Amino acid sequence: MMVAVFATMSLALICGWFDRRLMAVALLVLCLTLSIGLFLFEIYSPETGFRMPWIQTEFEPVPTQA
Amino acid sequence: MTASDQTVVSQRLLAMLNYGYLLLVMLIIAAILSAAMTLQYANGELPCPLCLLERVAMFGVCFGIMMNFRRGFSYQNTGFSLLFAIVLLVVAVRQSLLDIYPRPGHEYIGSAIFGIHMPVWSIIIALCLLTAYAIKLAILGGDEYLRAADVTEFPAIKKAADVLSVYVIALCVINLVSVVLQCGLGECHTFNYKLLQ
Repeated sequence: MMVAVFATMSLALICGWFDRRLMAVALLVLCLTLSIGLFLFEIYSPETGFRMPWIQTEFEPVPTQA
Repeated sequence: MTASDQTVVSQRLLAMLNYGYLLLVMLIIAAILSAAMTLQYANGELPCPLCLLERVAMFGVCFGIMMNFRRGFSYQNTGFSLLFAIVLLVVAVRQSLLDIYPRPGHEYIGSAIFGIHMPVWSIIIALCLLTAYAIKLAILGGDEYLRAADVTEFPAIKKAADVLSVYVIALCVINLVSVVLQCGLGECHTFNYKLLQ
């Protein structure tokens, strides 16, 4: 996946250099989409994802003692 | 000198400032990427997946700037750069939040530069980029002067931009080869180069 991200970015830059604007922009958008997908995979994957249990991002009611 | 001539001169000066500003931003990003790659190859500090995504975001910012030099100024290109600056900020903040609580296997990757680790530097870089664009838009403002003066009217800036653009493209291609060696077609790890084992 990371290879695809860098490949599309490299091609976008090369196409941009050779004035193939439409192709370059299409590749850039593809690269952005792949990057966001990979980022979400990295942070949410149950196997290799990076979890941050020390940061509370959702409301959790604190149990109260009677 | 008539008022009309003065307007032309001031518009030309603003256009030169704009292109010089963009060139400086691309130069700084190229220097940052070069430093990261030097640390990778000289010190053997392999980048983590989020670090690699931060590099992609920096290349994306350079793409927008390079297109301004290739085909003339456009706010669409500025939009591309800003989009990737936001991506850089989001990834860097997420990575810093991840490493801010040290635990085995999840400490900051790589050596600190001036006492600050790379993900935190990435936050600073992203904020500087967004601030730089905001200040440029606030000070240099409208685009009438950019329509009036093409980048080819400033041969020194144009030449420097071309050289720098080729350098950035070369950096990206080298990174692609490096990623192939490090990750193969699968997930990236920071243990070693997968294809060189």
